[in-house]
Amino acid sequence: MKNKIKVFRAMHDLTQEALAQEMGVARQTILAIEKGKYDPSLDLAFKIARRFGVSVDEMFTCWEQ
Amino acid sequence: MKQNTFFLMAGLIGLIEVGIFWLSVLLKESMLITIAFVVGILVIYIARRTISDKRDDERSALITQKAGARTLEVFWILFFAVSLGSLVMGFATPLGIQPPPKPFPRAPPDEPHIGYFGLLQMILLCCMAFLYIGFRIYYARKYGEWDDDEE
Repeated sequence: MKNKIKVFRAMHDLTQEALAQEMGVARQTILAIEKGKYDPSLDLAFKIARRFGVSVDEMFTCWEQ
Repeated sequence: MKQNTFFLMAGLIGLIEVGIFWLSVLLKESMLITIAFVVGILVIYIARRTISDKRDDERSALITQKAGARTLEVFWILFFAVSLGSLVMGFATPLGIQPPPKPFPRAPPDEPHIGYFGLLQMILLCCMAFLYIGFRIYYARKYGEWDDDEE
């Protein structure tokens, strides 16, 4: 799954560590999601999208799309 | 409880278990180490729940779950194969399966070599632990545990 977390983080001037703390996960988890190595749960995906004020669709897209 | 305190406590329990094992060998009381081991593991499990600075999240849970499932998937074959081999050794007599000895049931046999089956099981369990570590490393790599930070 592709995502725009890195872009939104840069726009909001947020580090991986800070975002991870807000989401209650490890920094490595944010890194793995950004790199597309790990697909987050629906709960985490919604939390991340909500944090940046966008919809899940806007934040995450499937590889096929 | 801090995570380091938990590790210290777990190590201490391990040492106590070794002592109790030695004592139960001296006393020839197998139930002593059996009960002590179960109690020790229960204490460790309960203490693990009280760790305050643990950072477990959904990704690490997934790694643990996948490694555990794959270990069992492989290990049961190994365990079943060795158990079948042991069964053959048990049943391989010139006349096949022997009738039960009289009086039945009899008292546990006082033969020390039976205890070596426990040693075989310990070796198998050690193999299982190494297998689990291997799968954990594999899945941790797969889910980006040691990836470089680009920041």
